[in-house]
Amino acid sequence: MSSPPAIIGVGRTKFGEHYELDPEDLIDEAGLMALESAGIERKDLEACYISDYLLQLTNKMGLEEGFISQLLEMNIPIERMRSFSSALMNACHAIEAGKYDVVLIGGMEKMTDRWSKIRDDLMLFMDRWSYHTGGTLESNHELLLREYIRENKISGSDREKLMLTLAYISVKNHGNALWNEYAHFRREINVDRVLAARREERKILGTYDFAPISDGATAIVLASPKKAKEYSGEPIYVLASTLVTDYISYPSRPYRTGFIASRMAMEKALKMANISLDDIKLLEVYDQSTVLEMISLEDLGFIKSGTAWKELYENFKSFNGCYNLCGREIYVNTDGGLKADGNPLGATGGAQIFEIVKQLRGEAGRRQVKTDGDLIYGCAQEMEGFGTKVYIHILGREKHE
Amino acid sequence: MSSEPIERRVTYVGDRLKGSRCPFCGKEYFKPRRYCGNCGRKSLGKMEEIDFFYEKGVLETCTIIREPTNRFTKLAPFIYGIVSFHNGKVRVPGRLTDMIVGEEDVSLDELEGREVVPRFRRRYSVSESDIIPTISLAFTFADEYYPYQQYEILKPNKEYDSPGIVGYGVYVSRFRIKEVGMDRSVPFIDEDAITAAVEAGKLALIHSGVESRLIGKVYVGTESNPYVVNPIASKVAQVLKLGEEGSDGVQEVDAVDTEFACKAATSMFKDAVALICYPKDPMNYVMVIGADNAQAAPRYEPGGELDYFVGYGGAAFIFGKRDVIAEVEGWCSCTSDTPDFWRRDLEPYPRHGGRFTGEPAYFKHIIKAGRKLMEKMNLKPSDIDYFVCHQPNPTFPVRAATLLGFKPEQYQPGIQVTKFGNTYSSSSLIGLAAVLDQAEPHKRIMVVSYGSGAGSDAYIFVTTNQIKDKRNRQKFTVKYQAENKFIKYIDYATYRMFKEGL
Repeated sequence: MSSPPAIIGVGRTKFGEHYELDPEDLIDEAGLMALESAGIERKDLEACYISDYLLQLTNKMGLEEGFISQLLEMNIPIERMRSFSSALMNACHAIEAGKYDVVLIGGMEKMTDRWSKIRDDLMLFMDRWSYHTGGTLESNHELLLREYIRENKISGSDREKLMLTLAYISVKNHGNALWNEYAHFRREINVDRVLAARREERKILGTYDFAPISDGATAIVLASPKKAKEYSGEPIYVLASTLVTDYISYPSRPYRTGFIASRMAMEKALKMANISLDDIKLLEVYDQSTVLEMISLEDLGFIKSGTAWKELYENFKSFNGCYNLCGREIYVNTDGGLKADGNPLGATGGAQIFEIVKQLRGEAGRRQVKTDGDLIYGCAQEMEGFGTKVYIHILGREKHE
Repeated sequence: MSSEPIERRVTYVGDRLKGSRCPFCGKEYFKPRRYCGNCGRKSLGKMEEIDFFYEKGVLETCTIIREPTNRFTKLAPFIYGIVSFHNGKVRVPGRLTDMIVGEEDVSLDELEGREVVPRFRRRYSVSESDIIPTISLAFTFADEYYPYQQYEILKPNKEYDSPGIVGYGVYVSRFRIKEVGMDRSVPFIDEDAITAAVEAGKLALIHSGVESRLIGKVYVGTESNPYVVNPIASKVAQVLKLGEEGSDGVQEVDAVDTEFACKAATSMFKDAVALICYPKDPMNYVMVIGADNAQAAPRYEPGGELDYFVGYGGAAFIFGKRDVIAEVEGWCSCTSDTPDFWRRDLEPYPRHGGRFTGEPAYFKHIIKAGRKLMEKMNLKPSDIDYFVCHQPNPTFPVRAATLLGFKPEQYQPGIQVTKFGNTYSSSSLIGLAAVLDQAEPHKRIMVVSYGSGAGSDAYIFVTTNQIKDKRNRQKFTVKYQAENKFIKYIDYATYRMFKEGL
């Protein structure tokens, strides 16, 4: 293995509504946990990369860097990005360039502080013209689903199977979150509940098909390979870090039955990490909706386009924790995904990394996956917007002798 | 709180659906851009300006929005989706309008793939003090109430000695309320006097075949402008591209709103004609629009008696000297200080003089203007083929016509109040349009409007041979709108809600 940057510590808060806490309280908690798990002190930090999607709007916080500087009581370089994956990618670049050896990466969001207006804000961010014509966050997912249905000519009982499959995905993710002490929702649901919500709300996709609006923070400590060895017995290397962008406006994209950005980012990531899809048995996908988990499995290459609904339907007939896709056993969103773990935008990617690190280190407790052979790699897909930016990170640990 | 610069930019592009086309590869864009993504720098500055305002699109994919963003609360539930133009060269997001998505399930499969027409509407709700946002990314099905019609320019042919009407358009909404033997048109919740004025003007352009850039002035007569200060005429001029269009986003046209209750538009007919005849610098064409979302207090409140009669609609007439369909033969107006119907500033609804409004107001002025004009032109009622007057209710116009000596066959074709209600500024204009829709060449038409305050304008028109030539250029006739199978009847509560708007 060459020597990419490595994660030496991870931390996070519980996701959900934190009515009594300010954003800086949340990042403080996650940061402390990450530093402690890395076994380092504040003074060891050389720089900090933080992320939040819309604190400027939700909490009118303009200079997040200053809050972090004040918390750390340090004057190191601090930069703010919009997503955790973006912060991680930029931190990797700096370490690879030899600029720093130890950096803190943090993400936070306080969405419930702007409860009554957050859906408008997010939609405006996602695409102005869609907002001007009445689009909502949810409607994009429904349009994507309908494009998928039409493109693949799914009708009649097949359509029912597809909708049932999406419901199973929600049930699966809620089940996974049961053993995640940090998850926004820790309660089991069943398929009837998902279907009933759709029926009662008279919508294609109902409450249980979508990730919630959450508060939360996550943090990791990233180190150069040399330093990582000094601090940690089990560094988790960032083997690939890719980003692909796409048009802001979903309706004007040529490809609308999935995300071209996901496809391209994954191809690049596999090359960068020099591994194949078969090596990936642990996957965190950006399931803002159940549709996105299904579509992402296609976009990332695990299932042929247009067939995920069928394959997953078969899988859910006797589901035991992992998907079996084209002969590959793969665990997806073992922490509950965005659906159940929660989705505090700027922190969400950090929770995906947190989960992969815990799993690769064998520290995931009752969530720990059991694979044939060693679990070496994990892959995380994060988005900004509706497929407007897609990040892929592939993490890996050293093979034990 | 709205941002005036942002509103200007969104509206400028969105009202007209402006885009660009690459002259090299044909790639199209919504919204306009300066170069083509395929062809790069060689296309810089060479992109063709296009717009989708008169185009037909296809609803490709859609879903139903039941839980909207805040500004769309009053519109929900509604259908939202992706609309393509020019065989998928351009795709835009859009909302279906003129649709009441009720409790029942909607079959999205049956909506997808159907052709749609862009409609100019209010965009969403804003606070009372904000600029009213509009957009043409609202759509209706091309095979329903509002048909797709091409805007085909007619090369000017025959020039007349005196000016007259060269084209007209009437717009009445799809929704109606049926009460006491009358159908009355009701705006959809995203419509108002502004959208009716634009719609009527668009239909008049389509009918006349006149190039919009040749219009020298536009008048909009209304008493229900949602603004106290800010004209409707400027919106009409910009959206319909009246006068020469500057690259600076400014139209070389004069535009003004007029107000005199229900005669605000008819009053300007003679001004239009005068501008066309001004010898030193004659205008080619002048557009006069009457549009109203006729206001009335809820019944059982003061002023609520109007609530049984008010309608919604707009009518636009283009005057000129080329390819005239009805020449103006003469006119006569009268005015007195008779405030039988009024609305003070900051008051939401007009008040009404009750018994006072008929005898010393409506009849007095209509009869006087009508008689004087006949005297002036040495005409008897039997010399006139059609008589049209202002129609505040079904009985007044009949009595006025009878008092002037007209017979049912002369005045019945023009009585439209039972189909659309009292559409205020456009009331007599819709009657005139209904007559023009059916009149043979060389027929004499008398129109007498009435505006509270009070006054009347009487005109005599004589139809020409060309009235028949142009008739096939307008599918959306008065009759078509009155007898359309896609008319949707609504109850009183919905009517009030729609009328109050976003």
